[in-house]
Amino acid sequence: MIRIPLDNAGGPKMQDYHHDNQCTWCDGCGDYGIWTAAKRALVELNIAPHEVLLCYDVGCHGNMSDKLLGYRFHGLHGRVIPFAAGAALANRNVPVMAFGGDGASFSEGIGHLVHGLRSNYPMTFVLHNNANYGLTLGQASSLTWQGQPMNTSPNGIPERTLPSMDFVFSLEPTFVARGFSGNIDQLTEILKVAIKHRGFAFVDVLQACPTYNHFATHDYLLERCYDANKEGHDPSNFAAARKLATDSSERIATGILYQNENTPDYYEQLVARQNVKTQAVDEVEKKDVSAWMKKFV
Amino acid sequence: MSRVSLKVTGAQGQGINSVGEMCAKGLKRAGYCVFGYREYMSLIKGGHSSYQLDVSNELIGSSETTVDVLVCFNHHGLEINLVGVKEGGVVLHQSPQWKFSPEQKKIIDQRKISVIEMPTEEMLTKLKAPPILGNVLITSVVWSLLGRDGEELKNLVKEQFGHKGEKLLAMNFSAIDTAIAWAKEKKISDCWKSELPAAEKRWKDHLLLTGSEAMGLGVIHAGCRLYAGYPMTPSSPLLTFIAAHQNETGMIVKQAEDEITAAQIMSGAMLMGTRAMTATSGGGFDLMTETVSLNAIIENPSVFVLAQRPGPATGLPTWTAQGDLLLATHSAHGEFPRLVLAASNTEDSFALMSDAFNYAEEFQIPVIILTDKHLAEGIFTEEAFDQKKTKLMRGKLVTSASELKKLKSTDRYDPKAKDGVSPRWLPGAKAATFCSQGDEHNADGSVDETAANAAAQMEKRQKKMEALARVLPEPEYTGPKNPDVLVVSWGSNRGVIADAMNQNSKIGYLHYTHLWPLKTKTLTDLASKAKKTVLVECNHQGQLGMLIKQECGLDFDHKILKYDGRPFFYDELVQKISSLTARR
Repeated sequence: MIRIPLDNAGGPKMQDYHHDNQCTWCDGCGDYGIWTAAKRALVELNIAPHEVLLCYDVGCHGNMSDKLLGYRFHGLHGRVIPFAAGAALANRNVPVMAFGGDGASFSEGIGHLVHGLRSNYPMTFVLHNNANYGLTLGQASSLTWQGQPMNTSPNGIPERTLPSMDFVFSLEPTFVARGFSGNIDQLTEILKVAIKHRGFAFVDVLQACPTYNHFATHDYLLERCYDANKEGHDPSNFAAARKLATDSSERIATGILYQNENTPDYYEQLVARQNVKTQAVDEVEKKDVSAWMKKFV
Repeated sequence: MSRVSLKVTGAQGQGINSVGEMCAKGLKRAGYCVFGYREYMSLIKGGHSSYQLDVSNELIGSSETTVDVLVCFNHHGLEINLVGVKEGGVVLHQSPQWKFSPEQKKIIDQRKISVIEMPTEEMLTKLKAPPILGNVLITSVVWSLLGRDGEELKNLVKEQFGHKGEKLLAMNFSAIDTAIAWAKEKKISDCWKSELPAAEKRWKDHLLLTGSEAMGLGVIHAGCRLYAGYPMTPSSPLLTFIAAHQNETGMIVKQAEDEITAAQIMSGAMLMGTRAMTATSGGGFDLMTETVSLNAIIENPSVFVLAQRPGPATGLPTWTAQGDLLLATHSAHGEFPRLVLAASNTEDSFALMSDAFNYAEEFQIPVIILTDKHLAEGIFTEEAFDQKKTKLMRGKLVTSASELKKLKSTDRYDPKAKDGVSPRWLPGAKAATFCSQGDEHNADGSVDETAANAAAQMEKRQKKMEALARVLPEPEYTGPKNPDVLVVSWGSNRGVIADAMNQNSKIGYLHYTHLWPLKTKTLTDLASKAKKTVLVECNHQGQLGMLIKQECGLDFDHKILKYDGRPFFYDELVQKISSLTARR
């Protein structure tokens, strides 16, 4: 399928997301593909730039923050998930996407990932997974293959590689997908479903880092990635999804691996917000506390 | 000022808080101003803790080191607290056949202390009542001792437990009757050589609440709609209060996985455009500081409550201190504008919350509100809060469609903005978009590492500090025009200083609520007239003194500093100040 949409009758266009700033990523970087797919998914969902909040962690991917339009936030290393969650809870009418690298998400901010999955915040998280710290010039991350020589670890890292997908599945996620930066078409479709998902959508995007990742290269990924949904994988089957996600020894399954929309998201679980029609952003006003004061007399 | 004090001691979990609370409420209702002070250890059951009430018919905001009435739930109180009983005082205990040491006997004789042993167990058996009612028995005896009427107590109990059924209420009433009859028989009311001052009606309708409760009401009142926190004494009571009221307020309350998360959730919610806040104590604030810095560069309004306790590290978790002033003013990397406020009592704990949000939104800066354990958990008698004067100020927040349409992306961080404060608009608003950029950025939030831009943006942000300093009030002064002694302090010392000043008309007190940026004009004017200047702080370095020295060069003649986890006590401070005034 080849789609070149781009004039969405009446709706937003790719051009609407265009920023004049030039991309600064290395030639062949996977970030170009993710950048394109993200814009395209938003356009195809009819979401205009002013209707979305895009939150970026710190790393090469974070340099996307000023290479497109939309309300954007570029924060601290490792902390993008709770920031995005706070934003998402304050106004459910604005879809919130957070982007973070494997360094930020599986080392510095791994606790936030755990609790993001567990809390099932109403947001999308896109993992820019290039299995190393690119922006700081190629150090090993916890997703770098063990023994792989890297900057600051010329002998290879002694630690075992963190089994990221097994880890994510152990937290009973409600949405797990895997994409490949070289397959923009498929990634666009994945992101569209992720943005619409009820709860925390975890999208692992395998991406090339041509400068520092000399093991899982673009060609390596291209050879191994296949669309599991096309091969009949049923995303409602948790056990099958986990197995597919964790076993990448021969081929790497991509697509929507798991989705469960029966679990309410974090906000929906809040007793205090049941039957509240407004958003927290609409509710900022002076509140009369006389009734509560009486209890203290 | 005529004041009396009452201290209930025992192990944590034994019910001393319940006796303390009942007495406090009863006394306030009877027409007294009550100040409550709790000491306890960092554990759940056991240990040795106390609940002290200082009572007057005039305004009172401090505790004394010695008490008129000591109530001991167990023998530890008898061992530890007897030395703190005043002449003519009373010790009420329930440790059968307790034998005092010869030294203790000497104290009892010399000070003419009455010791009363209460047969609580026996009374409970007779009443066929559960042990929990021991608290009601003790309260009733204390009530008799103070010369108050049992009906007052019954009304209170009815109010508190009435909804739990007739049977329980009847049981409570018979406990009150039994204890009061016993007290009458033993002529308990004659044991205490002193008496309560005459009650005054003006206190009856006042609120009796802690600093945390006042702050919680202030948070709700200020239109805060999301609260994210992580438990840490002494900020936890605020989280508890907000959480307990969430179903009524509809507030989104998140107990986060750590303080970094709490700070980030608050920041995200603020960026989206609601009012949100977080609170923590020193160690938690250390973790939040990177987020403070982030909010400064993205010019995001943000509100942090820093409830102090003694450090370093875990320090004294359940005790008080003012050791984090410089943490609040100097924490986090980089140079940026911020506002630091300190609450001092329940009145400003309430009012400062609206102020904090207003300043945060008007200047698009992080605001840090300091409180401490003494204030957060101290019990104050307070007039109903004035809600009329509160105004919600949202600064340059653009919401109207026509105004939004005119905005350009580059308006968000235009370095030419007056006073450095740019228009701010929210995700979802139909307008040109921008990036809230944590890297140094130019006008639309694009990363820009050029020298000219870096300087322009730094200057833009720092201009806000100058504008803020222009609108902040000077510190508050009470006292004579030309004081002999000028006392300067901040935070929860205010109550004890006010009480101590009652003893000496030549003392003036300058109280700092707004600590950073620091205003020094009133201070230097007064200091030039005063014979002596005295700094009072609950820390070792005299941190406000350091800031003052830095800002205006003033050196204090004397510093009264305390750093043992305890607040200043009334008699202690009176003595310290008078020893200074005596030395000429």
